Amino acid sequence: MTSRRLVVGLLTALLLASTFGVGPATAQLLINGAGATFPYPIYSKWFDEYAKISQRVNFNYQSIGSGGGIRQITARTVDFGATDGPMTDEQLKSAPGELFHIPTVVGAVVVTYNLPGNPKLRFTPEILADIFFGKITKWNDARIKDVNPGANLPDQPIVVVHRSDGSGTTYIWVDYLAKVSPQWEQKVGRGTSVKWPAGLGGKGNEGVAGQVKNTPGALGYVELAYAIKNNLPAASIRNQAGRFVEPTITSTTSAAAAAAAEMPSDFRVSLTNAPGRDAYPIASFTWLLVYREQPDEVKGKAIVNFLWWAAHDGQKYAADLLYAPLPAPVVKQIEAKLRQVAYQGRPLLAAQ
Amino acid sequence: MTTTRWRQRVSSLMAILTAAAAGSVILPLVLIFGFLLWQGAAAINVDFFTHLPKPVGEVGGGMANAIIGTLILLGLASLLGLPIGILGGVYLAESRDRRLPWIVRFLADVLNGVPSIVIGIFAYTLVVLPMRRFSAVAGGVALAVIMLPIVVRTTEEMVRLVPASLREAGLALGVPEWKVVLRVVLPTARAGIVTGAMVAVARVAGETAPLLFTAFGNRFWHQGLDQPIAALPLQIFAYAIAPYDDWHRQAWAGALVLIVLVLAVSLMARLVTRGRVGAVR
Repeated sequence: MTSRRLVVGLLTALLLASTFGVGPATAQLLINGAGATFPYPIYSKWFDEYAKISQRVNFNYQSIGSGGGIRQITARTVDFGATDGPMTDEQLKSAPGELFHIPTVVGAVVVTYNLPGNPKLRFTPEILADIFFGKITKWNDARIKDVNPGANLPDQPIVVVHRSDGSGTTYIWVDYLAKVSPQWEQKVGRGTSVKWPAGLGGKGNEGVAGQVKNTPGALGYVELAYAIKNNLPAASIRNQAGRFVEPTITSTTSAAAAAAAEMPSDFRVSLTNAPGRDAYPIASFTWLLVYREQPDEVKGKAIVNFLWWAAHDGQKYAADLLYAPLPAPVVKQIEAKLRQVAYQGRPLLAAQ
Repeated sequence: MTTTRWRQRVSSLMAILTAAAAGSVILPLVLIFGFLLWQGAAAINVDFFTHLPKPVGEVGGGMANAIIGTLILLGLASLLGLPIGILGGVYLAESRDRRLPWIVRFLADVLNGVPSIVIGIFAYTLVVLPMRRFSAVAGGVALAVIMLPIVVRTTEEMVRLVPASLREAGLALGVPEWKVVLRVVLPTARAGIVTGAMVAVARVAGETAPLLFTAFGNRFWHQGLDQPIAALPLQIFAYAIAPYDDWHRQAWAGALVLIVLVLAVSLMARLVTRGRVGAVR
């Protein structure tokens, strides 16, 4: 009887104690954000490094996808959102306040595949569109052979893999296909999820990478880092200038450089099919979403200070994680934008 | 003679079949636990219980915040769900009214069948949106709602098992009804009620879906009940689908810790109820 009481008592005490503050109680400021998976590796690196510099502020980021990021910042359940597909005018209008898109880094979406020996392959935009339309179905199709002389292409069906969830990576990919194929623009169009004419779906960048890795003859699109980390090949793609360009940090940077010259003031710009001799054609900025008018002075200050740090000191972590840093003119524009973020009309950024 | 032998054969055949069926009931658990031990044990070290997660793709770190987070969430869910569930169960068993208990019983069974993700969305709408933030409280509410029907129904069953003679004895001595329930019925049924509560806690300990949009997850230590909080199932989910080997390793370790936690709760339930079954006769 007493031992039983003891157990019950102990359990109750444990419950109460665990509920009200076991664990290092910290008087730290917690800032919550959610959104894109595409930049998750660099964001989590940043938040870790930034926590070392700024002891009192912790940034908690959950990679729930671009669609989720937009929805949660619109519902104001998080302090900032993140997306790789810019919000549409309608989405911006439905938000309870003016939202800023702040570019953080530039990333590339690559075409990856699973073939014996994984030869280095080259694709033209037309071939890619027709593969995703389901018109080119075999690896040894004459058109693929034409641009890949000497490559060992088997008589095997192409298994197309795309995203099954709402995704910024998908947005970048179909935005590119729509630009290079009028038929794609007409029949499928743009969006974070579209009605695919062909192929299988995988959840998240990791899901697509996994499916390609496990399916002989598969072809899919993922963010560059996911291909490299999984030892998957990344194809060269013919750009606007007519050259086949490999996805690298350099070629991604030159795609951004071209767009940086005519950057709109709200940063909602597409980098796909960028001009420039060395530009990789399927690149994109990725953005953090913050309200111009911050509801909380302390949090707002911490957010703009972090964004300032990310646009400057933070950029040096990009290359290691296979993202391209922001072009210098864009950083200047971001500085101006951050100065507009305010609490009750007063700018939050300390004089820099 | 032949018929006797025939009967014996059928009998032993059926004995083997039923034993095999009984064995196959525990087989999945044994396999799961064995596989988890095999995959997860190697990944468990001191860091796992004491450190915060590392940034994406970096090796090392632990899930200390998620372990504490899960304990806090279970504590919150119990604080919210158990009192309501137990009181509700007592009402269902003791009430002389016919209609309300019938409706409640029916709806509790329906609620028990509602997918947990739907309950997560319910808590999101009810708690997260008005509070304008994800929080431990929202996660606790979601888990408590899942616990409620289990606790209500087991409590009701247990209270019903208390023999009418015990109640009548109390009433005959002039004890008021509320006192009979409090001092006679509840203590008699206590063991069963506690078991029901523990089963409910074990049931929600591994829930992931209702936490996605309520507790949300947190890379840092718990910072108050009105803030997002880490939880083991969330962390396992995130780590398992990521393309990094070290995260897969830690996801296995997390799964092992979670199942040990659930087993511990179940064992605790057995311990508390040991020898009490005979009390209800």
